[in-house]
Amino acid sequence: MKKKVMSLLLAVTVSMLMLSGCGNAGKTDNGELNVFIWTEYVSEGAIADFQDQYGIKVNVSTYSSNEDMLSKLKSESEGAYDVLLPSDYAVEYLVAQDKLEKLDREELPNLKNIDDSYLDPSYDPGNLYSVPYEGGVACIAVNTSKVDREITSYDDLFDPALEGQIVVLDDTRAVIGMTARSMGYSMNETDRTVLSEIQEKLMSLKQNVRLYDSDSPKSALISGDCAVGMVWSAEIAMAMEENPDIEIVYPSEGAYVFLDNWVVPKGARNYDNAMKFINYMLSADAAKENISEFPYLCPNKKALELMGDDYVSNQAKNVPAEVIKNGEFVKYLDADTLAVYDEMWTKLKE
Amino acid sequence: MDIERTQKRRIRPDTLSAILMVGPVTLVMVLLVAIPLIYVAAMSFCSIDEFYNVTSDLTMDNYVRLMDADYMRIYARSLFIAFVTTILCILIGYPFSYIIARTKSRRKKVLYMLVIIPFWTNSLIRIYGWRSFLGTNGWLNSLIIALHITDGPIDMLYRNGTTILGMVYCLIPFMILPLYTAIEKLDASLLEASYDLGAHPARTFLEVILPLTSGGIFSGSLMVFIPCLGYFFVSDILGGGNSDMIGNLIERQFQSGNNWPLGAALSIVLILLTLILVKIYQRLGGDMDALGV
Repeated sequence: MKKKVMSLLLAVTVSMLMLSGCGNAGKTDNGELNVFIWTEYVSEGAIADFQDQYGIKVNVSTYSSNEDMLSKLKSESEGAYDVLLPSDYAVEYLVAQDKLEKLDREELPNLKNIDDSYLDPSYDPGNLYSVPYEGGVACIAVNTSKVDREITSYDDLFDPALEGQIVVLDDTRAVIGMTARSMGYSMNETDRTVLSEIQEKLMSLKQNVRLYDSDSPKSALISGDCAVGMVWSAEIAMAMEENPDIEIVYPSEGAYVFLDNWVVPKGARNYDNAMKFINYMLSADAAKENISEFPYLCPNKKALELMGDDYVSNQAKNVPAEVIKNGEFVKYLDADTLAVYDEMWTKLKE
Repeated sequence: MDIERTQKRRIRPDTLSAILMVGPVTLVMVLLVAIPLIYVAAMSFCSIDEFYNVTSDLTMDNYVRLMDADYMRIYARSLFIAFVTTILCILIGYPFSYIIARTKSRRKKVLYMLVIIPFWTNSLIRIYGWRSFLGTNGWLNSLIIALHITDGPIDMLYRNGTTILGMVYCLIPFMILPLYTAIEKLDASLLEASYDLGAHPARTFLEVILPLTSGGIFSGSLMVFIPCLGYFFVSDILGGGNSDMIGNLIERQFQSGNNWPLGAALSIVLILLTLILVKIYQRLGGDMDALGV
């Protein structure tokens, strides 16, 4: 009996503790905002500043891939989230399904801070539904102390001399896309005969790849396990800080480029707060805070003026504008074509 | 009449308490096992539309796609890796279990704990530990070079062998624990009888010890073999993602492949494969209780 009483007491205490955890600090009289964003991508400080300035309580959920986010969005009821941060092709996919609200330009005066070269993108002409946040490039990292030959292009990664030395992203579209670009094709080819040509070249990459890693490809570069990498520019930026032998190469064929964007899903319950939040994130101060913490490329020209020399003159962080211009975005593919890509990938990883 | 009534009265309190005891478990099993399983099975016959949304158009296409030679090869390799892992676990685990089960030393408990303690750390973290241990600039290579055994670092990571090493490391406790139970139950007087009758140690082992502990080997093998098919993170981290296993295929269909019905079909095949193995185990006289399930 004594045990029962004790366990009951314990249960009550625990549930009280859990309930008390629900209380929130600070003034949040102006409603709330549910944002669903990438992990390790938006500064917590910038979100907290917004919360303090506007008195809006921000509930943050995170995802680690566009596919994660899209499937969560499907399973939740409409209005569960007010702001999302999808990549280019995911914006296109959401627009095609009429899953996004149009953005109210009047409420986004800070949009003028964004450099023109990042506006009016192919995935959302006229930026009706999305505004750019940060982005990057899948480019080449070379450890100059381990590789003799000069590497300038995606095509160089297929050189048999690099056998067992490369780390590539564990990403179907990035690796197949890179192979396509090295042959002068688009990353979004749908023609089956072209795809089988790409497949043939792709298989010659197999012996060169030592490691497929999307989570932290920089570790294999820093430790020296891999001498060459085809990874995200921000990963290379971090690897360069740890290992001075590492250099960044922007492929001559034009790189895989990505941009992540603020959007508002259909049926958002707090549309007005969402506009305030997006506008705040477009401000120079917030963008500076985000870029300082997560050194991806910065489309915000006002924030760029505030950044120190270590960012501006760093090629891996401050990706040159022409790289973006010559690059290509991944597009979403119809289900049948995606199945072909998936089969190509299965053959490579078999 | 009278007897019936007394019987009724006698049964009723029992049934009530039985329902109270079994009810919650049944409910949990239905909610968390039966319904998800039916959901996965139903999903495996669905199709997807151009936006990869699951639609209720029933089809066998997903299973037809699985007959593809590429998938078959990946299945075959997964089974091969699981088989090699199981054999290695038996070869390493048996002598170890025998020693801790038969020792009269006071260190018996310590030895037993040495198997259990690593369990307290997440296996993912331990696998990452192996990666930094075996890397080009890892501890092992630094030691080898410092001792002048070789000039340069040895390439140990991202190979099939590394995957198997990680699997054996992760799963060997599942082999040792049932073996330990089986060997500890061994009646010492039978061994004495064998020696008294003039059998030498090898013959005693093959004709007395091994048959009596085969139950432990069977249940250990099953508990190593089945998880091995699904531990895709080991081949991702230590194998470098160079050779997919069944688990990788399933994971990918729910991610970049964006084809949930195909992923569901792959899962169903894995479940069937597991069921067949359990059936074989039962046929061989295996005891389901020994599996601890």
